Amino acid sequence: MNFALRIYRRLAEAFPHEFKLVYGTDMLQLGEDVVEEIAKQNGIAGLIRLIADIAFRVPVEYLSEMRRDLRYAVRALMKSPGFALVGILSLGIGMGVTTSVFSTLWAQMFRGLPAVTNAEELVIPQEPLSYYYIQQFRTQKSLLAGVAAFQNGVPFNVGFQGNENAKPQRVFGQLVSAEYFSVLGVKPQRGRVLNPEADKPGNAPVVVITDRFWRNRLNSSPDALGQTLRLNGQTATIVGITPRDFRGASPQAPTELFVPVTVSAAVAPELADDVLDKRDAKVFQAIMRLAPGVRIESAEAGLDALTRQLDEQDTPNPVRADKSRRVTLAAGGTMVQIPRALKPMVVGFNVVLIGLILTIACMNLANMLLARGAARRKELAIRLAIGASRFRLIRQMMSEGILLAMLSGVAGLALAYWLSILRSQLRLPQAVPMELDYSLDWRALVFTFALAIVCGIGFSLAPALQATKADVAPTLKEGAAIQLSGYRRFGMRNLLVVGQVAGSLMLLLITGFLVIGFSETNNFQTKFDAKTMYLLSIDPARDGYPPEKTQALFEKLSGRLKTIGSVRSVAFAAQAPFSVAGGMVQLSAATDSRDTSRVEKSVVKQTVGAGYFDALSEPILAGRQFEKRDEQSTSDGSKTLALPVVLDATAAHGLFGNGQAIGQRITEDKRSYQVVGVVGDLKNGIPDETTLSGSAYFPLTGRDFASPPPGGITILVRSDAGMDALRAVRGEIASMDPNLSLFDVRTLAEHLELSRSFLRLALDTYGGIGVFGLLLAALGLGGVTAYAVARRRKEIGIRMALGARKVQVLRLVLREGAALVAVGTVLGFLGAVAIVKALSALTSIFADAFKVTTNDPRLIIGAPLLLAAIAMLACYIPARRSAKIDPLQALRDE
Amino acid sequence: MLSLAGDGQHGYGIMQEVLERTGGKVRLWPATLYGSLKRLIEAELIEESDERPAPELDDARRRYYRLTGIGRRVLDAECDRLQELVRAIRIKQALVTE
Repeated sequence: MNFALRIYRRLAEAFPHEFKLVYGTDMLQLGEDVVEEIAKQNGIAGLIRLIADIAFRVPVEYLSEMRRDLRYAVRALMKSPGFALVGILSLGIGMGVTTSVFSTLWAQMFRGLPAVTNAEELVIPQEPLSYYYIQQFRTQKSLLAGVAAFQNGVPFNVGFQGNENAKPQRVFGQLVSAEYFSVLGVKPQRGRVLNPEADKPGNAPVVVITDRFWRNRLNSSPDALGQTLRLNGQTATIVGITPRDFRGASPQAPTELFVPVTVSAAVAPELADDVLDKRDAKVFQAIMRLAPGVRIESAEAGLDALTRQLDEQDTPNPVRADKSRRVTLAAGGTMVQIPRALKPMVVGFNVVLIGLILTIACMNLANMLLARGAARRKELAIRLAIGASRFRLIRQMMSEGILLAMLSGVAGLALAYWLSILRSQLRLPQAVPMELDYSLDWRALVFTFALAIVCGIGFSLAPALQATKADVAPTLKEGAAIQLSGYRRFGMRNLLVVGQVAGSLMLLLITGFLVIGFSETNNFQTKFDAKTMYLLSIDPARDGYPPEKTQALFEKLSGRLKTIGSVRSVAFAAQAPFSVAGGMVQLSAATDSRDTSRVEKSVVKQTVGAGYFDALSEPILAGRQFEKRDEQSTSDGSKTLALPVVLDATAAHGLFGNGQAIGQRITEDKRSYQVVGVVGDLKNGIPDETTLSGSAYFPLTGRDFASPPPGGITILVRSDAGMDALRAVRGEIASMDPNLSLFDVRTLAEHLELSRSFLRLALDTYGGIGVFGLLLAALGLGGVTAYAVARRRKEIGIRMALGARKVQVLRLVLREGAALVAVGTVLGFLGAVAIVKALSALTSIFADAFKVTTNDPRLIIGAPLLLAAIAMLACYIPARRSAKIDPLQALRDE
Repeated sequence: MLSLAGDGQHGYGIMQEVLERTGGKVRLWPATLYGSLKRLIEAELIEESDERPAPELDDARRRYYRLTGIGRRVLDAECDRLQELVRAIRIKQALVTE
């Protein structure tokens, strides 16, 4: 019983101060009065009830107190809307950007593939492989539990049963080996998925469709199973529908169909030329499941050894002994498969950026709360003096901070949501449209609010502690403005301002380096008005043209289009100009005549037809461009009969230095080429190492016409006649063959605009972040100066009464701000240099962008000057008020 | 509130009265009791009373509570409502048993 009473007393002590003041004694008394009686009547159960009752009421009372605190906080914030707005905006933007980056990062790097079992066991080689090699990987049973091959972004012209006359729809799908679904562990929603037992070579063509295809193109028809589709003119039967969320092994490219690799080349031109048996046809990707307990590193080592062995069987005398890995594995179970080596960099960069933003935003808030706490010192002193507990006041200030942070969290979430919508609307200039899931993650929601509460508590606690520490008596007696000695101290607020200036400068410099670096490396320049060139794509192979007829078709097309009066030039290419759709290839050239040592360079591969450079008005620096006869070449690039190749200046310089490039032999993946021409650099679209590596132009040949890349063959038509020309071109093509479908029709200007959209988004984001940092620093500094001026009113009043001039007073106030800005600038500059060094060391992507700009005087001198100027302006506006102080008024206030 | 209908009461008194009235079935536990008192005071249905009983019965540490004017009206209204309810139930019962 005594024990129960002791607990009761302890719990009664724990009630909120306000409650205890009024009811504490009574409640304690009542407990003591009744405890004996209860023990007698109800025994132990009664005592437990008694304790449980009081234990339950403690949090209830606290909640009700907190509600009151919150109501007070809302009122206090509404009374100073400027403070509230700036606080909410600054922290809100910080949180919004953080949440957005966090969601994207999480979604791309850590979220498992939807509808896939045990996604973390999946691995994917970074390099494209031949089907033969992937089959050989299957022998590594101790390392891999399953291996499947697939080819992504394969277009099909699809016709529907019962609707034979309609123009077929162009749909992207995957060619997959029969093991694909069992490796991923995907069960069908209806029907069956592909499997090795049922899907053997020579069977009638079948197709598995995605839920999206079923819903959008078949109207969720219940009879879909067993229906036939016409794929590129050939019949295939629908045997199954995949689960709703399933988006294939690389979900960034939308897939609507899964076609087994066992179908004939008529269904999928990608399978022509026996690619399944060719050991060097590296056109497939592999998706593999690790055997239980096998680590990704050991699997990589095993597969690398196997690949070397296979490579050596092909070429008994390897040209070079290279030590780099031939197979590198990345985690395959995530939305975006980022190479392992790059992962720390991607995470690191974002963490640095997020960290800086959040630090600045939080510092700003802390600073504002600190200033506010100081301004309210008198109010707090009065409340302390009439008996408020210190804890009570701290709680109140903290609830204000938490409220502010929660509101910022809501604002941040709204911003993040808006950013995610913005991102999902972004279209990228890819042959196969990418589709990334940018929806906000629920974790991001939790993350934001956890962050909000931590920020709220963290940044109201310190000011609250400081403000309530005040010695009550002098504050009440003399007013807050008297503590003159304190202002020059290296106080917390000054530290915060220095930190803020330094952080903003770091942010400004890093984003500035990136923005200027990226835009300089991606400065496309066409030598003519890009609006006068039209790009159209066609894909005759998938319109049902037999391979042997396609070459003739293109020849005829070229001739017919050139007869249109307004058309100035026509050219073909396997990809749009200024695009990297062709991928990278490794070129190697002998450095001397005896072929003893070789130099290698990887370049962007462009496959272009006759007259391509003419059409783009790009002058040939040396040699010649491609001609009609190159398109007709039947050579396969064997040693005896080399194919022609044109290099751009960068690639030529990289391979041959300042020597003569024309006439030299180069090899690419065992094929031999002869350099016939050199052109100026045509910049490419995506900001990474490809932009600095140069391009090689390979001739478009009959093989490309017969089996075009996923984006089809691009027709470049230049004409000054505007839309009339396009109409004429369309008419001409339709008159040749009404069944030829034209797609991706746009002007070069529109295409370039689209290419830059990705870059522009990146630049806008980084630029926005930089500007945001600048704004925050200015706000923080302005606030602090305004506060300092307000606090030194009396001192300034005395100075002016003694004859100080306005300019002198102004200088006095500004000097202090200038000192803070100077210290912050130096620290920020050093910090930025350190971060740039660290990021450059991590990856060449940043190194390239930074290389261009870290010596750029615009940034090195401009950024600190800009920041200092804005900071001084932020100081000046409140400082000007100091000069307006009326000495009489200031002194009378005493 | 009913227990305050007569004279002002202190916490212990309220508790005892409820206990007696319900034949020992309902016990208002101390913390709940004071929580309710606090809410009733905030709603201005009861108030602290200055009237104290005869000194020999008084305990200086105790606070006494009584109904306010509004509180009394609310109590009356509540009693009426409950009576209405009881009457409605009676009529229903009579109908059923017939």
